[in-house]
Amino acid sequence: MSFELILFYLFATVLTVAALGVITVKNSVHAALLLVLTFFTAAALWLLLQAEFLAIALVLVYVGAVMVLFLFVVMMLDIKVEPLREGFVRYLPIGAIVAVVMLVEMLGLIGLKTMSAQALPADPAGASNTAWLGKALFTQFLLPFEVAAVILTVALIAAVMLTLRRRVGVKSQDPAKQVAVKASERVRIVKMESASKGGTP
Amino acid sequence: MLSNFFHSWIHDPLIAHAGTFGLVVWLVLCILAIAVPVILTVALYVWWERKVLGWMHVRMGPNSVGPAGLAQTFADVFKLLLKEYFMPQAASKFLFVVAPLIALVPAFAAWAVVPFDDKVVLADVNAGLLYLLAMTSLGVYGIILAGWSSNSKYAMLGAMRSAAQVVSYEIAMGMALVGVLICAGSLNLSDIVRAQGGNWGIFNGFWLPLFPLFLVYFISGVAETNRAPFDVAEGESEIVAGFHVEYSGAPFAVFFLTEYANMILISFLASVLFLGGWNSIFPVSWGFLGAPGWWWLFVKAFFFAFFYLWFRAAFPRYRYDQIMRLGWKVFVPITIVWVLVAGCLVYFDIVGPGKV
Amino acid sequence: MLAEYFPILLFLIVAGGIGIALLLVGAVLGPRSKNKEKSEAYECGFEAFEDARMQFDVRYYLIAILFILFDLEIAFLFPWAVVFKQIGLVALVEMAMFLALLLLGFVYCWKKGALEWE
Repeated sequence: MSFELILFYLFATVLTVAALGVITVKNSVHAALLLVLTFFTAAALWLLLQAEFLAIALVLVYVGAVMVLFLFVVMMLDIKVEPLREGFVRYLPIGAIVAVVMLVEMLGLIGLKTMSAQALPADPAGASNTAWLGKALFTQFLLPFEVAAVILTVALIAAVMLTLRRRVGVKSQDPAKQVAVKASERVRIVKMESASKGGTP
Repeated sequence: MLSNFFHSWIHDPLIAHAGTFGLVVWLVLCILAIAVPVILTVALYVWWERKVLGWMHVRMGPNSVGPAGLAQTFADVFKLLLKEYFMPQAASKFLFVVAPLIALVPAFAAWAVVPFDDKVVLADVNAGLLYLLAMTSLGVYGIILAGWSSNSKYAMLGAMRSAAQVVSYEIAMGMALVGVLICAGSLNLSDIVRAQGGNWGIFNGFWLPLFPLFLVYFISGVAETNRAPFDVAEGESEIVAGFHVEYSGAPFAVFFLTEYANMILISFLASVLFLGGWNSIFPVSWGFLGAPGWWWLFVKAFFFAFFYLWFRAAFPRYRYDQIMRLGWKVFVPITIVWVLVAGCLVYFDIVGPGKV
Repeated sequence: MLAEYFPILLFLIVAGGIGIALLLVGAVLGPRSKNKEKSEAYECGFEAFEDARMQFDVRYYLIAILFILFDLEIAFLFPWAVVFKQIGLVALVEMAMFLALLLLGFVYCWKKGALEWE
């Protein structure tokens, strides 16, 4: 068994156990952390597949950003464990249906892709993964890339629309104004005669 | 030459006698050769910080224990390790123990890709810069978990503030890195340093064409490490010590180590990315002075590390809304615009690898 | 690829080892004394009267969401920055469009006051 294969089985085991832990662990913060571990090992598996850029991007975007938001939400929502347990059986059928539909969709998509599309040309020796990906992204997949930009902008606006609540009656300063202040507006230097030396006040 | 020496005396026999296992031992030795000096540097840096702050306050700083007070910091380390290992009743036990480790590991692992000299780098990965960004983005976990698991209000407040702040400045930092990337045309840190080599010494560095990004990067680095003047996460006057208020003894020492290791890392990275790393600050043609070498990297890193201390002595603490404003409303627009400017500069061949 | 990343995996393990060693040293050498007062959350001497895990301002979530979006944009910028010179003007214009859209969203956030901290 090659060293690479040993690593693969190691990571695959960790990933499966962590993923199972995500849905079985009681404490939701622990579950979120196990999800972090899942992403991390998935990134390691991608590295074994030579997908250098994607693997680190997975860590950067999912572990570094998405899961931080998850943790924020999970920590602050104050979820009680008991009510969650109660709903488990009730939501099981719906959850199972959603899972099966997703699985079928993914299998169908992958199956269609492998039948129709020809494989992208192999990684030319010496070229870095990132450069290769960049070339494909900015020539062949130009339109999807710009569509992604539009989607991101829409998401940005949606996020602001959904979460922004202005509180009334807060006493807040405007830092921009404070920074723009000049000394001459605040301090007045007055020249005046000093009191005479010998005189009594 | 030094690395050749080690290679022929340790690496080759290890491989010859123990094969793959020998390679692992060799790598672990290399890793320790980075990690142990980092820890020692942290100790010296703490001493240097106290000295510099002392001088700036017109006092002596530590001067009693050892020569020039140098042993003071080591005495402090032993004191910390001998203190009680304490956990509050209401804390989440597992996370409370694990949080310092989660903070420490990325701070150390980032050193794996730092090039100290030409070909003296542990992992010369192609996507080095991306890896660094990923590792710095993991640092926030230690903070959030420490704050939440302590189950204390000060810790929680400190963690939330710190997390939002770190996350905000990471955008600016990432954009600044993109600027470097545009100029160097490679994600590999060694290549980035090589792209800054040339006949103009320090003026070959990317700090010149990317000056706004250079400033943004270093200031974001200061904010990212929660240092003064951006240290609201542990503002003593408001929330005592922030996210690690409940930590004592050894776990506190680990947080401390993480913070200072991160500061030194940022100093090294600023030198590598913007000041030309191991390249001399003098033109290559100046003979001895122009010769590249690891000492130049260390000199440059020391320069930035000193700035950290200077900031701490010179600036009052920012208010939280001012911090967020600086991060989002000043740095993000500057970096977005300058990334485009850098793109144009490189496209029209004004700047680029091997050019001034 | 593996040869380059294996040291990093090892480094992660060694760094974890260093941390665990430090914690263990502290746990072994440090004294222990249980005390009810001491094991309460620190609040400058006041007694803690409610759970510290309180609800937070929605603004923190907004910052986190904005961060995800901008982080994604940066992830797109990285491969572009490596290859745009080879592709030429098309890539420059493409990225200008991409950043223009990003700026549009950014200006929207700014005008709405999402970046303000009150």
